[in-house]
Amino acid sequence: MTDTAAAGATAANLNVTGLELSNVVRRFGAVTALAGVDLTVRAGELLTILGPSGSGKTTMLKVVAGFELPDEGSVRLGVHDITVASPARRNIGMVFQNYALFPHMNVAANIAFPLEMRRMAPPMIADKVAWALQTVGLTGYDRRMPSQLSGGQQQRVALARAIVFDPGLLLLDEPFGALDRKLREQMQLEVKRLQRRLGLTTLFVTHDQEEALVLSDRIAVMNEGRLEQLGTPQDIYAHPRNRFVADFIGESNLFHGRVTAIEGGIAVVAVASDLVLRLVAMAGMRAGAEIGAVVRPERPRRLGSGEAADNAVEGELVEAVYVGESIKYRLRLSSGAELLVRWPFRAGGEMLGGGARLRVGWDARDMHAVPWS
Amino acid sequence: MVRPINALVSGLAFAAAAASMQAPASAQTQPAKPAQIVVNASGGAQAAALRKAFFEEYEKRFGVRVVDSSPADLGKLRAMVTTGNIEWAVTELNMEDAVRAQEMGLLEPIDAKIVDRSRFPANLQTRTHIYTRSAYSTVIGYRTDAFPEGKRPKSFADFWNVQAFPGPRSMQNSPIDNLEFALIADGVAPDKLYPIDVDRAFRKLDQIKKNVAVWWTTGAQSAQLLIDKEVVLGTAWNGRYYAAIQQGAPIAIEWNQGGIKESAFVIPKGAKDAHWGQQMLAVMSDAKLQAIYANIVTYPGLNLDATQYTDPKIAPHLPTHPDNLSKQWWQDVNWWVKNGKDVQDRWSRWVIAK
Amino acid sequence: MSVLTGVLGRRAGRHGPALALGILPIAFLLVLFVYPVLRLLLFSVENGSLAHFEKALTDGLYVQVLLATFEIAIVVAVICLLLGYPVAYLLATASPFWAGFGFALLLLPFWTSVLVRTYAWMIILGRNGIFNRTLLELGIVDQPLALLHNTTGVLIGMVHVLLPYMVFPIYSIMKRVDMQLLSAAEGLGASSAQAFRRIYLPLTLPGVFAGMTLVFIISLGFFITPALLGGGRVMMIGVQVERLVRQYLDWSLAAAVAVILLAVALGVAAFFRRVLKGDLTWT
Repeated sequence: MTDTAAAGATAANLNVTGLELSNVVRRFGAVTALAGVDLTVRAGELLTILGPSGSGKTTMLKVVAGFELPDEGSVRLGVHDITVASPARRNIGMVFQNYALFPHMNVAANIAFPLEMRRMAPPMIADKVAWALQTVGLTGYDRRMPSQLSGGQQQRVALARAIVFDPGLLLLDEPFGALDRKLREQMQLEVKRLQRRLGLTTLFVTHDQEEALVLSDRIAVMNEGRLEQLGTPQDIYAHPRNRFVADFIGESNLFHGRVTAIEGGIAVVAVASDLVLRLVAMAGMRAGAEIGAVVRPERPRRLGSGEAADNAVEGELVEAVYVGESIKYRLRLSSGAELLVRWPFRAGGEMLGGGARLRVGWDARDMHAVPWS
Repeated sequence: MVRPINALVSGLAFAAAAASMQAPASAQTQPAKPAQIVVNASGGAQAAALRKAFFEEYEKRFGVRVVDSSPADLGKLRAMVTTGNIEWAVTELNMEDAVRAQEMGLLEPIDAKIVDRSRFPANLQTRTHIYTRSAYSTVIGYRTDAFPEGKRPKSFADFWNVQAFPGPRSMQNSPIDNLEFALIADGVAPDKLYPIDVDRAFRKLDQIKKNVAVWWTTGAQSAQLLIDKEVVLGTAWNGRYYAAIQQGAPIAIEWNQGGIKESAFVIPKGAKDAHWGQQMLAVMSDAKLQAIYANIVTYPGLNLDATQYTDPKIAPHLPTHPDNLSKQWWQDVNWWVKNGKDVQDRWSRWVIAK
Repeated sequence: MSVLTGVLGRRAGRHGPALALGILPIAFLLVLFVYPVLRLLLFSVENGSLAHFEKALTDGLYVQVLLATFEIAIVVAVICLLLGYPVAYLLATASPFWAGFGFALLLLPFWTSVLVRTYAWMIILGRNGIFNRTLLELGIVDQPLALLHNTTGVLIGMVHVLLPYMVFPIYSIMKRVDMQLLSAAEGLGASSAQAFRRIYLPLTLPGVFAGMTLVFIISLGFFITPALLGGGRVMMIGVQVERLVRQYLDWSLAAAVAVILLAVALGVAAFFRRVLKGDLTWT
């Protein structure tokens, strides 16, 4: 009874601990690529490392895959410490940016490769390869050479090769970069579905925030070797923790100001002599603090004359851009600051012309603060 | 890189391309003076000696520039004559090749009105197409530090005697001379060498084979082997050993039983500068000039008067010096022309056999 | 009339350069390769007889020397491969500076003639040569090693001359191999040795085959190096061909031997091409 319970507990633990990085540091000479990263990828979740180039995300990927060893810290996968394990012993399936298919082997041989390396019996290999091909929708393509496949098909093969050996972790290194937009969106959804269906713990690396928002269970935003924020896509989008995240994730309006007062949970922020903004105060916020005030472009609404709002501003329309389902307007406020707004575009609706004067407003809860320094 | 296939192919292409052209009109009666003539010879140190002894004089006498080229090559001569595209006014050939060339009609006759051989040995005066430029000898050479005074090899019997004269030997990778040496070592008198008893010669060669460390291919190699102490005893052309001795190598020449032979110059049949080639042979016949040449490379000319102009210090090193000449035997070139190819094939088989 | 010539002139002007560009290389190949080979074939079947081939293929001497030539060419190609593959790998993976340095070393011998290099080897490898003297002085051997005037000497001299012909084709293929494939293989569970054997080696085989073909074929034509370094005991077919051409003027037999060599060379090239194709569609 106790034994069974213990076994169950271990299994549960196994299930919750996917990948765990503790205080991982990697330096290249004077450059610190990873400055003490702590990160846990839960079992079965798709976690995206998002960051600009040079943020350390590629180094992190290499440390996880075993192509780089950390100078400090540890990497665990399930119950195993894989900090210094060779890539071959980590049991991680990786899809490379350019797929890295073996050009001299046909599709079946590419997919069979990790199984052969594991000394699996040939009949079982055949079964697994057939399963993997079916899973990625390439049944019947086993005799093709990689050079005879389209980009999307190559990616499916790479994916099949990465999952065929039941890896403890799936690593995706910017795998959609080489595809055209339509195919990219299709493949993103397919990968997501597959990942859900197979319950694969997945670490996905990209610099494309849109892709990250679509695919991820959680997103880890990286900059200069550090984790800036970890959270769900909604969380990160709505509540960027700092200026970098606010700026990097989606479009946003960022105003620099000083808290002048906190009144009933609402902070009053002076941005310029004639621009005062209100937002929901954060815990510990005090008057006098220098902050950034962030509002997403789809939050402001047009105000009728005399209509009031927590934040109301008036400005001149300097630019209007039609972007399909919505229109982006750029307003110049009297303070000289600019405000970007995005409103849905309805059929039959009219686009506003340049030079028009507009009043717009938004609620205090649509705006939040990020530390300035 | 020396690539015989390529050489052959390009040679054939050259020959074929030129074959379509007509041979030039028959020899001019009034030979115009060309800007230059080409004298083809063996090359190496010899080219400088030829220039110093003969070409400089020729250029002064006729105002015709002399260009030298090398190597002596019967195949090329044949290609030139058959295609009518003849670069050479004169070319050197070894005697065997010269006789073959004459048999195939590849040579112009020597013009006795231009080339004065009246002071040559009688048997050489009558050669119709072959001009005997020089004589050279294949002789025994040894390292003086390997064989102390009084224990030095004096004959081919000694050369074969590996107990009394131990040490690795070298000989030319060719049946020519070696068959004769073998017979002499086996006791055949030098005047009874021809016709060569080939079987007997090879049997005798079998006895020395494992003591011959190197079958040399080039003249330069033959002397270098003694200099580098790769071998202590060998055979080579006398001029090669002489040059090594001049450079201070501890080497001595044994003239006894050396194989002396002629070295020939010929004029290719139909050469456009044939007349100027005859003039070159005339210059080469000058006794004083022959002495200059012999002083440099110890290959004497055959004008008997040349001896009196030769440096007395050099004279004992010439194969034609009376003391040396009496110890050597003359090669029968006609035997070699007749049997050379078959014997060569047998030699090749023998030399590579384990 | 003037209109006509004008039109023709324009046309010629438009197509002329392209035509000239095409004709020159074709003419070059015809004159320098196709025609000589045809002449060679004609010489070899003089009077419509195959007697020269019969002699070349039945005369013990020619058969023996041909076989010895192939044997040496194969051994040289294999040694060049064993030495050249790692060298090519070092060059392909070195930094540009070290790669340039390596290439300079590799190409340096090309600035000296084969004959000079051959004599240099005679000085180095002789019984009293630099190498043996050093070994003797260091007490590593008490008898000089027989490195010269035998097959060993021939192999050393030929490998030295031919090594670059192995390194360059392999290097150029290695440079095109995506090194990420090796990371991918290791990530999929392959050891370094397995990644090399299953991925890197197959992908660099085209270079290996090109190098083998090149070295083998060039080896067939060697003769002065074997004659000098082999002490006369190592005879390659080139010596025989040269003697037939220059001394005995038996051009038909020489041509027959040359045609046999050409056929073997083409056969070897075709063989490697087939193996290569087979390999590419394998698994």
